[in-house]
Amino acid sequence: MAESIKLAYFMAVKEGASYLGGLLVTDTSGIPLDFRYTEPITPTHLQSILYGKSLEPHLKEEVIQKTLLKELKTPPDLFILSATELAGGWSGDAKCPVLAVQKSQETPLVKVGTTFRAGPRDILLQLAEGAAPLRVMFAASVDAAAQEQAMAKLLEAGYHMDLTEPLERVTVALQSLVVKGS
Amino acid sequence: MFGRVRGAMADAAETLRRTFASLPVVTVVPEPFHPGSHRGDLLAVAPRPGLDLLAATGRGAKLFREGVPSLALPPFEAKLQAEAGWASWGAEAEVVRMTPLEAGRAAQVAVPPLPRQARTLGRVEAPACPGTRRIAEPLVHPGTRRLDPRLGDVSAQAGLEAILGLPIPIRAEDIQRLPKGLWMRYSLQLVRGTGENVRNLEVLGLFRIPRKGVADLRHDPRQSRILIRLEASAVRAPREPFILARRKDDGALLSCFVEGS
Repeated sequence: MAESIKLAYFMAVKEGASYLGGLLVTDTSGIPLDFRYTEPITPTHLQSILYGKSLEPHLKEEVIQKTLLKELKTPPDLFILSATELAGGWSGDAKCPVLAVQKSQETPLVKVGTTFRAGPRDILLQLAEGAAPLRVMFAASVDAAAQEQAMAKLLEAGYHMDLTEPLERVTVALQSLVVKGS
Repeated sequence: MFGRVRGAMADAAETLRRTFASLPVVTVVPEPFHPGSHRGDLLAVAPRPGLDLLAATGRGAKLFREGVPSLALPPFEAKLQAEAGWASWGAEAEVVRMTPLEAGRAAQVAVPPLPRQARTLGRVEAPACPGTRRIAEPLVHPGTRRLDPRLGDVSAQAGLEAILGLPIPIRAEDIQRLPKGLWMRYSLQLVRGTGENVRNLEVLGLFRIPRKGVADLRHDPRQSRILIRLEASAVRAPREPFILARRKDDGALLSCFVEGS
């Protein structure tokens, strides 16, 4: 059943000196089922010095992400984050496949539903007729079998919705919350 | 020709060999060298009679009243001197034999060892040893303070209302993928729901949206999608097929939910 698939979109942003994150759970139409966000965290000057370059990854993965995942009553089927976050070496502990989706400029594949493995963790997925395929990048913790299962779910959801769009929505929502809070 | 030359060379060589082989060897015995000594006459010294004795006479002086005591000079005495060296001096050459140089005894000279430690010269002694002073008062141990570097716990907030207010794009389903009978049923329901002639309707898309709670709906023709804003009630509402159509005569948008398959 397509309706049973839940997609969790995670995004953490930095607004000024504060960090905050949001987790949006949608159905396969992109309609929100749940949305959680954290209060802005402003590290002190001393904390910034002590943590150094590890401050931002630590805040995003250990503090914000874990807090949001704990709040979810049921685990999502797919945990989707931005390609930048994934490329930075995601080391969270989500209990579902972790991946990033990105629009590509590649030549369309033969037909809808076709996949092309560009790398051990990089797969192209054709979602719409004549359109550029979607680029799907998996975290290192996702093995090949889990990747195949996740691709089937993405194909099902991609038929109804734009898989990359909800991340933008989370970003806009977080920014509006910061403005509202200030 | 070469034979002749070789013969001539052999004859010349033989001639030379014989010529030099027959030369008489004369042994010359050198006469021994005898240095001769010549004896000269001895120098003779003829003694002559000595000089006459000088006799001094005292003369009185009258210039002074008391007079000057006269001093009697001792008489000179002549002595006969003879030089004996002349007798021993002859013309004979005395052969002086030089003792040849003897080989000196070889003696082992011990090399003095190098000093093990260089002596420092020019060291300037400290003029005076500085006296030490002791500070009786010890330094106070600094107190430690603990500052927890951990980032504080973060609380998560529910913000579904905030995200529902944002436009949500819903992509149109591909009508061609639907079963033909199902699509015919949908078309009939569209005509019934809108009351329009099917020839006057242009279907813009089939979307699955919540049955209730849709606050706003806009059509995005460029991407064949609709943008909807939802209310909280839409989250639990069932998703139903929704057809959006345009009336051809005036361009007005018409829509209706159709029955699910």
